[in-house]
Amino acid sequence: MAAQSKKVLYGLYNDEEELKSAIKTANAQHLDIMDVFTPFPVHGLDPILGLKESRLHIMGFVYGAIGALFAFLAMTWIFTSDWPIVFGGKPYWSVPAFIPIVFENTVLYSAWGMTITFYTVCGMWPGVKAKTLDNRITDDKFCIAFDVSDAPEGDVKNLQGFFTKTGAAEVNVKMM
Amino acid sequence: MNLTNTQFVFEGKTKRILYGGMALGVLCLVLSFLNDDEYHTRFWTNFLHNSVYFTGIALMAMFFMAAQITAFAGWNTVIRRILEGTSQFMWVGIILMGIIAAGVWLHFHHLYHWNDPNVNVTDPAAPHYDRIIAGKKGFLNPVFFTIATVGFLALWYFWARNVRKLSIAQDTEETASFDYYKKIRRWSASFLPIAGFLSPVLLWQAVMSLDPHWYSTMFAWYSTASMWLGSISFTVLIIIYLKSKGYLEYVTHDHLHDVGKYLFGISVFWTYLWFDQFMLIWYANNGEETIYFKERMNHYPVLFWGNLLMNFVAPFLILMRNDTKRKFGTMFFVALIVFFGHWWDFFYMIKPGARIAAFEAKELAEGGHETSHSAAPISGAQHEETATTAEQPAETHSEDPAAAHSDADTAHSEEAAAQTESAADHGTPAAEAATAAAGHGDEGGHGGDAHGGSHAEAAEPNSFRLGFTVPGLEEIGVMIGFLSLFLFFLFGQLERVSLIPWKDPFLEESLHHETGALIESEQVEGGGHH
Repeated sequence: MAAQSKKVLYGLYNDEEELKSAIKTANAQHLDIMDVFTPFPVHGLDPILGLKESRLHIMGFVYGAIGALFAFLAMTWIFTSDWPIVFGGKPYWSVPAFIPIVFENTVLYSAWGMTITFYTVCGMWPGVKAKTLDNRITDDKFCIAFDVSDAPEGDVKNLQGFFTKTGAAEVNVKMM
Repeated sequence: MNLTNTQFVFEGKTKRILYGGMALGVLCLVLSFLNDDEYHTRFWTNFLHNSVYFTGIALMAMFFMAAQITAFAGWNTVIRRILEGTSQFMWVGIILMGIIAAGVWLHFHHLYHWNDPNVNVTDPAAPHYDRIIAGKKGFLNPVFFTIATVGFLALWYFWARNVRKLSIAQDTEETASFDYYKKIRRWSASFLPIAGFLSPVLLWQAVMSLDPHWYSTMFAWYSTASMWLGSISFTVLIIIYLKSKGYLEYVTHDHLHDVGKYLFGISVFWTYLWFDQFMLIWYANNGEETIYFKERMNHYPVLFWGNLLMNFVAPFLILMRNDTKRKFGTMFFVALIVFFGHWWDFFYMIKPGARIAAFEAKELAEGGHETSHSAAPISGAQHEETATTAEQPAETHSEDPAAAHSDADTAHSEEAAAQTESAADHGTPAAEAATAAAGHGDEGGHGGDAHGGSHAEAAEPNSFRLGFTVPGLEEIGVMIGFLSLFLFFLFGQLERVSLIPWKDPFLEESLHHETGALIESEQVEGGGHH
């Protein structure tokens, strides 16, 4: 597989402040960071990496609106024409009674829709093998990774120098 | 970190503006007192409404702060002094609620039907014995009212005062440590159950008992959420005001974002409770509960729908996006809507009930001596059928028998509703007939004629009446007056100490607070993140 042949050079840092200042140094030197891995969400990391604002929440709103509309229209159809039943002397089309179900359906559609969208975008399907650079980045290490598959020897040296200078605790190379 | 402008200065100009606001409030209170029905219902409901709302803001500011300190929250340390200052207003609240409580004892207002001096509704031998209110006698009485309003407020103020004292003393520490924080936390944590369990009692007594037959287990939650939102939106407005004056430069849009999340979240919580209360009552269709909403939906539609529009639709749709919570202009706009919206919400809770209570007081006071022969306990349905009710208003308006009958109908519509929903339904068209018969239902047009007003009020308690059906200019003036008093008090408190708790162990965390939200427009501007 093509993805298997990627050669990754990565450095591990001991805390997130070191990581953040290292990323800033990398930006100043115009180094092309492949990715950054942290054991927990680090505040303020996204802007210095130049990441774009997620559009997932827009889809969340769309899914929620679809869910609300579907629940409302479905109940309207069921209780007025498909199978009208009198509940407690209320009219067939009792909007207050629909609202809890509309609410639940909004949450359901929004939550499932966003989860499925997120997994699809990230390629996380059942049976996918996790590609982890180092198990410690899920524990207490903060990692910056560079793709050095096609990099000349000089560039790799330069990157190793960068890791040493910015205080990386460990520098490794791994084929992914 | 070098922080400038951390000492608030209460300028003479601001003071003069606030004095002006207070003068306007007093003027409007006097105006509503002079131009009113004989029980001064408009004056007293305005007074009660604003006292409860602004005292509630102070209480919930303390609650909000106590919850955060108990949870070791760090982000809010930079705005803690604002919440502390706000909570001290409970001291004024004791006086305000004390006036209401004194009125309950000395009967200088007729807000509460259970406390009617002319007809003892809780005495089984009395002609207007009210079985339902008599059953609540152990709770709805002047002694308990005083304990629940003045007593509980004094208790909460004691806690708020201790936290404030410790927080000021914390500034004298050599270096930041947890010594004072632990003490503050002990007071905060113990405040939570005290306020949580006792605040519903105040609301039941001061607000829910205006409709003494009605009860709702959701009411305390719903109105507490309302006060909380008043408090949060007030905090937002104060933060933005102080920033515009050059203070709080270290309060960034990350802090605002977090307060905005509370504003959004509690707004949804409020709606959830509002709807829960409404839907359970609508579904159960139990007459004595349904009448509360029926009254408000039929006769106070502007209050009813405006409430939902301002307190749910506006904050929900505007604050749903991530970036609107971080913009000072948008947050100011939404906070203003929500602050006014929850003032409106309390207006909606208080006014219709007090209006009916005053109407009933008048009816009973006039009819009371006529019907003294009937000593037997009367429940609603019996009351309808006996000749007693027909006699009673015939004394008041004898021109038209139809009007007289429907008056009786409306006067006891709550009791009638207690029996069957159809009885309540019956009350409405009959009441409309009464309007036609009486000929002048619109009190708003009567202007200065207090007697004309009170007559129309007695003839038809459901017609349009400015200051009840919708807030009039006097209500707005009274609110400005109370708000000025509130701000005056708060600014005095802010001036006493630095705006920053310098030795708080969480200060550094708070100054570097980031929500981690990624907003592209902010990156273009280069604001926020460094």
